[in-house]
Order: sequence, then C-alpha cells, then structure tokens
Amino acid sequence: MTYRVGIDIGGTFTDFAMLKGEEVILHKNLSTPEDRSIGVMTGLSKLAEKEGLTLSDFLGQCDAIVHGTTIADNTLIEMNGAVTGLITTEGFRDEMEYRRGFKENIWDATLKPFKQITPRRRRLTVPERIMADGSVYKPLDEDAVRVQCAKLKKQGVESVAISTIFSFVNPAHEKRIAEIVREELPGVQVSVSHQVLPRGPEYDRTSTTVVDAYVAPRVISYLEKLVSRLKEGGYQKQLMVMQASGGVMTKEYIDGSPIRVLASGPAGGVIGSAHSGVAKGSPNLLCVDMGGTSYDMSMVIKGAAPAESGWNIHHRYLVGVPMVQVETLGAGGGSVCHVSGGEVQVGPESAGSEPGPICYGRGGKKPTVTDALLMLGILSAEAEFAGGSFSLTREGVEEAFQAIGDEMGYSAENASGGSVAEMAAFDCWRIVNANMIQAVRRTTAGKGVDSKDMVMLAYGGNGPAFAAVHADALGIEKVLVPKASPTFSALGTLVAKPTIDEERSCSFQVDAADLSQMKALWQELEGRAAKYFADASFNTRDIHFSYQVNMRYAGQNFAGSFELFTCQGAQDFSFLSKNFGEQALAAFNKRHMEEFDHIREGELPEIIGVRLVSSVDTPSPIVGEGFNAPTVAATPAKRRRANLGEGYQETNVYLDTSLVPGNEVMGPAIIETTFTTIVVYPGWKALVDDAGDYELRKVYSH
Amino acid sequence: MSFELNRKLAAKRDPLPTNVDIDSVSASIIRGALETICFESCAHLGRAASSPIINQSNERNASIIDSNGRLVVGSVGTPHLTFVTQLTVRYGLMNFEEFDWGPGDVFLGNDPDYGGGHLPDYNVYAPVFDDNGELVMIQCLQAHQGDTGGKDPGGFTLEATDVFTEGLAIPCLKLVHRGEKRRDVIKLVERNNRFATFAGDLAAMIGGVQYAAREMQALIRKHGTDAVRAALNYTVDYTERRFREEVGKWPDGTYEATTWVDADTQGTPDIKVQVAVKVDGENLSVDLTGTDDRQHLVGVWNTYGNSRGYIMTQLAGMIDPSIPKNEGLFNAVEFVIPEGTIAHPPINKPAALGSFHPACEITEAVCVALSEVVPERAQPQVYKIGMPNAVIGFYDNGLMWVDQGVDSRSMDSSAVKGIDGWGSCPSSLGGLLLSMAEDSERRYPVLNISREMVTDGGGAGQWRGAPGSLNVKKVLEPVSAMAWMVSAKHPLRGMCGGDDAIPYSNHFLVGTEDEYKIELVESTMLPQNSVMAYQHGGGAGFGPALNRDPEAVKEDVLDEYVSLQAARDKYGVVLTGTLEEYDLEVDVAATEALRAQMKAAAV
Repeated sequence: MTYRVGIDIGGTFTDFAMLKGEEVILHKNLSTPEDRSIGVMTGLSKLAEKEGLTLSDFLGQCDAIVHGTTIADNTLIEMNGAVTGLITTEGFRDEMEYRRGFKENIWDATLKPFKQITPRRRRLTVPERIMADGSVYKPLDEDAVRVQCAKLKKQGVESVAISTIFSFVNPAHEKRIAEIVREELPGVQVSVSHQVLPRGPEYDRTSTTVVDAYVAPRVISYLEKLVSRLKEGGYQKQLMVMQASGGVMTKEYIDGSPIRVLASGPAGGVIGSAHSGVAKGSPNLLCVDMGGTSYDMSMVIKGAAPAESGWNIHHRYLVGVPMVQVETLGAGGGSVCHVSGGEVQVGPESAGSEPGPICYGRGGKKPTVTDALLMLGILSAEAEFAGGSFSLTREGVEEAFQAIGDEMGYSAENASGGSVAEMAAFDCWRIVNANMIQAVRRTTAGKGVDSKDMVMLAYGGNGPAFAAVHADALGIEKVLVPKASPTFSALGTLVAKPTIDEERSCSFQVDAADLSQMKALWQELEGRAAKYFADASFNTRDIHFSYQVNMRYAGQNFAGSFELFTCQGAQDFSFLSKNFGEQALAAFNKRHMEEFDHIREGELPEIIGVRLVSSVDTPSPIVGEGFNAPTVAATPAKRRRANLGEGYQETNVYLDTSLVPGNEVMGPAIIETTFTTIVVYPGWKALVDDAGDYELRKVYSH
Repeated sequence: MSFELNRKLAAKRDPLPTNVDIDSVSASIIRGALETICFESCAHLGRAASSPIINQSNERNASIIDSNGRLVVGSVGTPHLTFVTQLTVRYGLMNFEEFDWGPGDVFLGNDPDYGGGHLPDYNVYAPVFDDNGELVMIQCLQAHQGDTGGKDPGGFTLEATDVFTEGLAIPCLKLVHRGEKRRDVIKLVERNNRFATFAGDLAAMIGGVQYAAREMQALIRKHGTDAVRAALNYTVDYTERRFREEVGKWPDGTYEATTWVDADTQGTPDIKVQVAVKVDGENLSVDLTGTDDRQHLVGVWNTYGNSRGYIMTQLAGMIDPSIPKNEGLFNAVEFVIPEGTIAHPPINKPAALGSFHPACEITEAVCVALSEVVPERAQPQVYKIGMPNAVIGFYDNGLMWVDQGVDSRSMDSSAVKGIDGWGSCPSSLGGLLLSMAEDSERRYPVLNISREMVTDGGGAGQWRGAPGSLNVKKVLEPVSAMAWMVSAKHPLRGMCGGDDAIPYSNHFLVGTEDEYKIELVESTMLPQNSVMAYQHGGGAGFGPALNRDPEAVKEDVLDEYVSLQAARDKYGVVLTGTLEEYDLEVDVAATEALRAQMKAAAV
C-alpha cells in the first residue's frame, strides 16, 4: 500500500488529508506555532497509528507528501522577515516608497504608513541603464555595486533584492550585480527581479522581488527543517509544496522563488473545490470559505481556477506572481458586532479564537457573528461544537445583544415577536450577510461572468451556515457542501498537480510577432520545467504543456493570458505557423467581446509575454457523485426555536451522522455535522448524494 | 445667465417622495448594494479603457444621483471628481422633457458653465427607471479624457481667455437613445479628440453605465421603488447628521485663511484665495468672500461646481472617514462663493487650468483655516504642481503622442498631527496610480533619468512632510513641451507652526550652456536629447520642528530624508558619529542646549 498525504497548516489547526488507494482519510490536530513542523510530525504519527504502522514504515510507504504553508504570510503579518536591502537603477531609489501613488484609504489622513521592508538607507542605487528594446544606454558601474554592497554589509543585511529597469528585457546587468553581491556578501540570500517576476512595470516587479527577499530566508529554513524531519522519519521522496498559482512543486524549485508560496493556503481550498465541482458536474463555481476571522471568495471557471498576476496587494505590498484569485473580507465567526455612528456594524475587529466569541466561554466579552448564530438558534448550546472539543454557553450573550439593541433604541414592540436582543442579533446577521454578498459581487466584478450561471461551493467552519442566503441574493440556485469541507485546503493540496507556471516578456503587435523569438522563450521555459520535473522523478513525456500568450491593447494596464496550444511531452512548435497571429487575435477578440461588449475597430492587441504552464497528473481522490439512492425524507433528530430569516419558529434539526445517501431535508432546517452547521433556508432543500456530500437546491422564491 | 443657472443648479434638493419607513439596517444594505454597483461600473471602465490616464492612473469615478439631483452614492475614485458630479446631471434633469429622457438613454456632459469642472472631465450618465416608468436614479461615470479637441493636445491652453479655446463644451448630449447608440453623435464626440484610443474609452464608459443601470433596475425590482427611495433619503440624512455631529464637537468660531497662487499664466502675481470657515454649533459655513475677482486674469478660473467640490474634498478629509459620501455633506454646509470671483467665474471663462489652481488653493485654504480645529486630519488634499511638463511629439506614422507627465514621484504629502507625511501624495489622491517608466518608455521616446526624493525636500516640523522628488527626463526626439509653474513663491503651507514645503521649480535644457529655469510658463520646441528637471514641492510640516523627537530626526538623517546640516539648523538636533558608518547618536545635552538657544532666538 502506498499513501499520498496533503497537509495544510492553519493558524489554529493543522489539517491532513490522506489518500489510500481510493479512500480519503481526514485528520486534524492543533498547530504548533513555535515550530510548525512539530504539529506536522504529530499528525503524521497519528496517521501512521491509524494504519497500524510505525512512523518510519508509514513514511517509507508515502509516495508523496504535499504541503501548504502560511509561513510567508505569517512573515508579512508579523513583519519579522530578513533584514533586507535593495539594489536598483540609479535614479529609481524611492519607488518602494511611492507605490505608484497608492494609498489604501483615500478618505483617511490618519492612515499610518506601511512598515518599510527596505527603508531608504537600505535602498541603494548603481549607475546602469537598459532601454525598452534591451539595448544598454549606460553600462553597469561594477565598482559602484561593490561600494553599495559594503554599505549593506555594515547594516547587517541578510537578504538582498536586485531590481533594475528593463531587466526583464535584458537581464545582463542584474545577473552581474547578483554575481558581485554573492562575492561581496557571501551567505546572503539574493532575489533577482528578472527571475522572480520577469515583466514590467518597475514597481510591480521590484515590490515582488523585495517581498521575495524578505520572506525567503524564513521560508527556506522552515522547509529545510521540515524536509530533514521527514527524512529522519523515513520519508524518501521529495517534499512537494503548494504554490499560490494552485500547483505544487518541489522544495528545490520553491527555493528559487519562495514568494510563490505566499497566499498558497487559500489556493489549496480553491483547487479542492474545482476538483470536487467538476466531479459533481458543476465546472463553474463561486467558492466561499468562511472561517473564524475571514470570508474568502474565489471562482472556478470551466473546472479551473485561473492564476492571474496583477495588482495583488498582500499585507500592504504588491505581489505580482500568478495567484489563484482569492478575495478576502474580514468577516468570520469571530467578527465583532457593534454600534458605530448610530448604525449596527459587524467587524472589521475580530475576537479571533482567543478569547473568541462570548459563547466560547473563554472570557470573550464582545458579541460576535458566532454569538449571533447562537441567539438565532442556528447554533445551540446543547450541541457539541468544533468536533466535540467544547460546548457553547449562552452566558453573557443575550446581555451583549441587549446592549446593542438598547444603543440602537430598539423596543420590544417593534421587535416582531422576538426580544430586543434577538432583534439586534438578527440585524447583525443581516449586516454580515449583506457585507459578504457585496464582497462576492466585487470579486466577480469586471471578470465577465454572471454569478447566476454558477454553482456555489461552501466550506470552512462557518461557510455552510450562510451559503444559501448568499446564493439566493446572487441568483444562484445550487450550493454544494462537501462533507470534507472543514479540511478542504488539505484535500486541495492532495488534488493540486505538480505545476510550473512561468512567463517571459516580449513585445510585438499581434500580427507581427517574431515567431523565432517566441519559440526561443518557450524553449527556455520548457527547459526549466523539464529540469525541475526530472529532479522530481517525472518524465518529460508525462508533462502537459500549455502554451499561452499575454495580450492587451496598447495602453491597457492588465493583460490576459490566452492558451494557444497544448500538448503532452515534446512537440515541434509547428503551431507557430503563419496563421498564428490570426489565431491569437481571434482568441483575444472573443474574450474582449465577452468581457467588455466591444472590440476596438482599427486597433490590434499586442503580445507582451509568453507563458508556459507545465504540469503532470498525479493520483487524486475520486469524488463520488450522483443521486442513485432512492429519495427519502430524512427524520429530524430534534426541534428547536430558530430564526432562519423569517422570524423565530420551531425548526427541525438533523444530525449528519444519521443521514444517508438519498435523504432529503426541506428547509427551514438545520443540519449539524462534526465540524460545521449547514443551514437549509426557507425555500431551499438539502439532498445527500451517493457520496454522502450535500447539495442545497432552491425550491421556490419567496 | 451663468450665475442664475448656477444658483438653480446648486439649490438644495428635497428628499424623494416615498411612503415607506425604512429601518437603518435595510437602508444600509441597499446603500451597500449601490456602492458595489459603482465599484463594478468602475472595474468595467478600468479594464476596458485604453487611455493611460483612465486605466493606469485610475482617474475615474462612479457615482449615483437620485431623481431629485442629489448625490446619493459616491464611493469610488477621487473625491475631486466625486463632488463635482451632481451639478452636470442636474442640468440634464432640468431638461428632462426637452431632452426626451427615457429608459435606456445615456448622456454626456462636460460643460464648465453647465455644472461641470473642466472640459476633460467627461461625465457619462444613464437614467434608471422603474417598471412604472418613474425615474429613480442616475448612474454616472466620470473620467479624465486625454483630449477634448481644443487648441492644445490635452486641453490645457496656457493663454486661453475663454473655454472655446480649450475644447468642445457639451452641456448635455444624448449618446444612446432607448438602448440604441446614436452613432453619428458618438462619431462627433470621438472626432473631437485627437487620440484614437479615445473611442475605446468612450465605449467603455457607455458600457460601464449601461451595466450599472441594468443592475440598479434589478435592485429596484427586488426592493421596490419606495423602499429604495426611502433608503436613499435615509442615507443622505444619516450622512448629514453624522457630519453635523462632528462639526458640533468643533469649537465655535470663525477660522480664516489666505492662500495664494503665484501668478496667472500671463504673469499677474499673487492670485488670492480668501476663506472664512464659520463653526456655529452644528452649522458650518465656508465663505470665499475676498477671493480674487480681477476679470483680466488668465487661466486661474475655477468653475463654481469645482469650487464647491474642492471645498468638500477637504472637509470630507477632515471628518470620520466612515461617513458615507453623499449629498448629506452638502446639506450640512453653507457655501458662500461670490459671483465673479475666480471661484465662481462669469460664463465662458477658461476652465482647464483652474481645476489645478486656484482649485487646490481653495482646498488648501480650508485646511489651513481648520488646522487648529482638526489637527490630526489637517492634510491639504491638493496637487500644487501647476502643470506637469507635457511633452508632445509625432510617431513615424504621423500620429501625435503626448506624455502627460503623470510620472511616479512624490509631492505635497504633508504631515498631520502624529504622522509624518508619507507615500507620494495626499491621501485623497491615493487611488490614482502613477505611470511607470517601463510602460511609458515603450510608448514614448522619453527617457526617465531620475525621480528620487530630495534630501531636505520636505517641510520640517514636529511631524515632517514627505520630501518632494526631482524628476529628470530626457527627450530622445525633438518635441514640443509645455509647462506652467506655481507654488514657488507660495509653496504649500505648513500647519500649526510646521514649515512650508519647498518651492516647485522646473529647468529645461539641463546640463547645457542654455539651461534655464521656467519662472512662469513655457511652450517651446525642445531639440533631441534635451533634459528637463522638475522639482516637486514636498509635503509641509506640522507643528514646530524644534519639538520633533530627536531620535526621529536621527532616523531621518540615516534615511537621507534630512541632512546633518538641517538636523542642526532646522531641528536643533546635534548628532555624533557619521552617516557613512551608520552609527549616528543623539547628543542629548548638546541638543537640549541648542534647542533652548534657538527657541530663545526665535522669541
């Protein structure tokens, strides 16, 4: 028997999904923030135990361990990365401070500045200049590089970012600067912009490179520690690491560009969603993941979660590498309900998991969304919570919402049957729903999709409690709630393919592309991919290549990627034939019409980059689907007073453990599962499919 | 005619008729949905537009006006555009019958004398009707256009003595009638723009408002017209109440300030902006009486709509940022903007440059006046740049190109109480992305040589202004270039005892024997390889420099924001060690002594 294990480390829990043949085994244990690899080893030991194996026998039989890490995210949240310096082109010292003029809040003069990774004293310049066409306008002053290295050395710099103007067109100067830096500052980590993000413009590339340099030492040392622990434990294969682009790759590959693991945690969930949705016949998904502190939204289109590079701001820094687009709203179970300026508001403050909501009984004093759910009867103090780790308490909850109601001037007469506290809790529920619905709409804005054509997939501890309300508001009539949803990110790492997604810059009008140059760029990318895949014991003939070009109209800020050819294994580039330009143009025009309702007459788009996505297939869990079991109305386990949006009424409550495929639950109803609560709102019904997963369907409008 | 029209356009508007009582939560849900529609509309425009000023600089804005002409949602873009939007639409609304408004229509307006700002700020708007044919709201998109068909590319004519020199003025023009594009009309508008990419911009704006109008119709169907109207009334009242509550916390009094534009484009010096802000309980008035009204001035005329909007831009930056931005702000303020002044010009005056100056001096004056009242938000929401160096040339195919000079740089980022000036601009401009060398150099034969902050380029203070940048560019082909310099004699004002920002300056033919400084205006041909150097004034300081924490001064010296010399001369801080060795330390005793001596000398 061989195993594949997916591991996702979150702030509170480390999740495991193990594939054993066709069977998936899930596990969760607490994360160990002081050294996260400890929590990983604990969980692996637990899985070995479940299999009746020693850890070393178990790890010896593991074909792949795939890992999603938040180490880069945490470094940016805590701002405790490496002491970082920047070497850039003379005259361009301050781009990291200008940020192209960007400020997060245009109405708030009290907004504090962002903490600078490279304060001005560590942003140094050297005489050199490359032009837009790659020609050298001013040669590199190598002595100046050495002088600047000495300055960085005096400041104790541990990591150096190198980013010069137009290096993505001609990297000669950057390469030479990197050589000199390695000579002058031995042992220091070096990040070079034409490798980290080979495209313009300069702020985007420089910022990405600076963040790479900042997180690199921590990411690399963490992965090294984990690799050595796994090796000691008996694991013999390469550790695979999740990237934000939605693919996984070897540690060796990640070492070359550690920024690629930033924001990879949510990406795992999206990849898991795509896999699950496709299997269940829903290739277009709106995925919503609501946990304790945030509500993450993403889209799956035609079975894929497109990784896009663009204006991705993470922790106040622009990171331009391709990322599965996940938008985050600070709304989770821990979001605090309060009155501000005479209006009920929810968040952005969060009670987190410690002390957490009042109903956790751990000293929390501020009412949260989870507390509101308890007031509404959606959660219950009688039921077990979070897999039975504790029970909720009502103590202090009612008083907290009473205080909100009092502040708002609510009275029992207009509380429509409930108490003032219940009315306040209901308003908090309405507000947080509205916030989330608007956030979803902003996620889909400008993407050329209509949410009405999509299926929602809900996961995370709180997602299934809200999903159908959001679906209803967005015109969506079907919601999937997989039973594995609480460990979906771990499952996603298991599903994600080993992938290398890289691009190179070029500049042609679409009808005048230099095909030989494009071929050379793609061949370079092929060579890189083949090498890393070979190191990970994959054969070139098993690699699936997707050849894409990045196109836009001259002057547009954002380019789209267009796939023009796919193949498995080596090919001869015959697709780069004389009608290549026409095909590229047709692809561009089609999408521009879809997204913007027009194309520009008399104008042609330009090709500004080639992109190659290389991937190999690995065994994934098989997701069951279908509704072959006879439909039978399920039997409620109990009833309780609850308000599912239409006032308080006695509501059926079902237990997940007693539901079987074919069971149907008509709303209004509540389904309690081990790690989450699924709410079947009025006008909706829930069906259990053959795999035991839930599907919520809209039955009627009201 | 113009003054009378302005009085009508600015008159306070009634709440919408409705028979629904709405609760605050429902109202805020509807408001949130409308804000999202504005966001979507802007996202559509930003992605589809082709002119850099729209898709790179984000100089665009979405807003919603109700059927009574009130600004009800203005959530995206720049305040400078948001607060000008309603008067243009009101002019169209006044002619509802005459101009044959109906479902599916899209209009365009940009006329400075019919409620607008300057000509380049196109306002494209679509009325939204309910299923009974009742007008409920109007969705607007505004965006700065690269050209409007006047004498000079870009629309900024230094010597213009009337608006007709600057471009095509459009009071209200129907682009789409009942869902059908009026192709002849659109062609006329397109033709009055020098740049081919404009057609895409206009199409993107039309597409953006049409999309939003459809979404708003769906929202009206879902909630009902009366509920939507009630929500709009609620949100406007809510904003007015919150604004008034803030004003109520300000000490009563009349706070005055005077600011100056160095000169008009013909060299008449010292153009005055005078403001008196009166706080009386929860009532606030802003009175520009005393502002310059010399009729022969050239270039420095700011439209009435703009003057109101720029006053509001500053006020909105000085209150709790969570207050929704809508007509409630205007309802809470009494404006006195005397007719015939440069802040309320007679008809047909030029408008292009006035949207820079005196518009920004009006904003600045309001800030100075209220700086002691709201010190923690006393950041002037300005761009004191005069006119950036616009460079114009021709491609080999004969088509013209213009580099508008909206380059990455630092300017006018002043300190407030508690926070040093940071970033490249005041907060209100933080949604406008500056253009990058690696984009512009692919498009224009211009080389960006340098654009770094200049040591000591920020006003000193207890909290320090961000240093201004020196932007040096070389033209690689012969070009024509234009500039207008202000803020040299009268740089951006320091607040509450902080130093002013440094003066702006601009040199052409840098590094040659013929190098010269532009004192006022320039419009010239530059030979190939000419170098221009534009020194931006930095941000101004807040509070006396001698009160700055000496450790902060030390850090500033290490970062070369402040020189050792200025640390001593301006801040009274004595440092030991050297910058080269990064071992600077504050000599506490010497610093105390020096500061005591400097304070004594100042008295």
